[in-house]
Amino acid sequence: MRYRLYAVYALLLLGGVAFAEYRGWSFLSVNEVKNVPKTVRDNPGAYRSHYAYYTRYIGGK
Amino acid sequence: MSAAPPAAPAPAGPKIRSLNCPNCGAPVVVRGFGHTLNVACEHCLAVLDAKDEGVRILQTAQQRERIQPRIPLGARGALRGEVWQAIGFQERTIQVDGIPYSWYEYLLFNPYAGFRYLTEYQGHWNFVRTVNALPEERPGKQPAAVYAGQKFRHFQSAVASTTYIIGEFPWQVRLGDVATVDDYVDPPRMLSKETAGGEFTWSIGEYVSGDEVWKAFQLPGRAPAAQGVYSNQPSPYKGQVGQIWKLAGFALIAWFVLLALVMTLEGNERVFERSYTFSPRSGGEPSLVTDEFELKGRPSSVEVSVNTDLSNNWAYFRFALINAGTGEAYDFGREVSYYFGRDSDGNWTEGGRNDSALIPSVPAGRYYLRVEPEMDPNAAPVYYTLSVTRDVPSYAFFWIALPLLLIPPFFVTIRSAAFEGKRWQESDHAPSRDDD
Repeated sequence: MRYRLYAVYALLLLGGVAFAEYRGWSFLSVNEVKNVPKTVRDNPGAYRSHYAYYTRYIGGK
Repeated sequence: MSAAPPAAPAPAGPKIRSLNCPNCGAPVVVRGFGHTLNVACEHCLAVLDAKDEGVRILQTAQQRERIQPRIPLGARGALRGEVWQAIGFQERTIQVDGIPYSWYEYLLFNPYAGFRYLTEYQGHWNFVRTVNALPEERPGKQPAAVYAGQKFRHFQSAVASTTYIIGEFPWQVRLGDVATVDDYVDPPRMLSKETAGGEFTWSIGEYVSGDEVWKAFQLPGRAPAAQGVYSNQPSPYKGQVGQIWKLAGFALIAWFVLLALVMTLEGNERVFERSYTFSPRSGGEPSLVTDEFELKGRPSSVEVSVNTDLSNNWAYFRFALINAGTGEAYDFGREVSYYFGRDSDGNWTEGGRNDSALIPSVPAGRYYLRVEPEMDPNAAPVYYTLSVTRDVPSYAFFWIALPLLLIPPFFVTIRSAAFEGKRWQESDHAPSRDDD
């Protein structure tokens, strides 16, 4: 009985992987913005990025 | 398991002989009449000679504590194809490391099939019969016995004494009888050798669930739950370990095939590439937009890569992948930093000159990128190349699925090993006792 459950589990898991690949899912967190004005093409500086206040890490040993 | 229906009609009511205990005067019933040699009075526990006309007293007992058999003497039940009547009951005890362990034995009688035994230890039951053929004993580090082509591994040897008896027995029985018991197991069966007075008897038992016993003898309530793992208790994982690993093998093959298919069939199409220079000292507007490019096909991933020539510096890029038609945008950021040098440990580097982001499920359409680079205001100019690739596989799902596929078989294997570990922990061959 357990191995039948495992067969179902493995099929669901691999099916999920295949579906995720097909749909192009990824783990990146992106912010989706609606209705970006077309004027951005002419004035790129007018766009307020969601990441404008991102705190940068300044590296170096 | 459930009791099979009796192969033959229940035997007619057994011929019962009634007598009075010469020790206490209580009535004593003899059900196995012709076969019964000794009978122990249920009231005073005196052992009587059933063959003697005067019912001679063979032994009297001083026990104060009475044991109530779970199967009352005289009870009849259909078990393994025959109807049996419980006619005798004894408690036997072994000492292991000074600790007494007791089990119960019920003597069952069928006038056509003879005698059988039901043994019980902490809710574990065995249906036992004596064997006619002589098993072959094989000595070794862990001795074995072979009977009817079946190999049994030695489990435990101990000296058992009879510590309580009531009812009838077809042999001379006394309180304090001592026998050496050697148990061999091959679950669900157990082969036992009892040696007493220079004679030995082999018997074979098969594990029976308490529920089956309860159903067979129509006992009230429910069978007591079995405690721990018994020597010949069948493992609930038997056969499952190999089966689940076989399935896991198929699943791994499917995993590899799927991975190969994804690597082969994913488009991985470069739809945009262009190089730029950002000079923070110039002080102008840093942000820019790229030319439009076409993303085709089903909603799929888009990889945005940035390759720089940074040297002991950092740059932060704010990106927006904007759909020129709908105005929908995907906002994300990427920091690129690359440092290197030399110290007392030798050469070192930190970070990298390149980075990328995989944007999930981007619908088809015409898109452009808005890019806003940022650096230290006094930093040297950076030369960077942006590239956009459509339909890029994310192997992360594969690497997550791989351990998830293997966890259940490992879990079943560990559980199975734990079950067997508990079984053998109680044996003479427990791992911790090897050095004793």
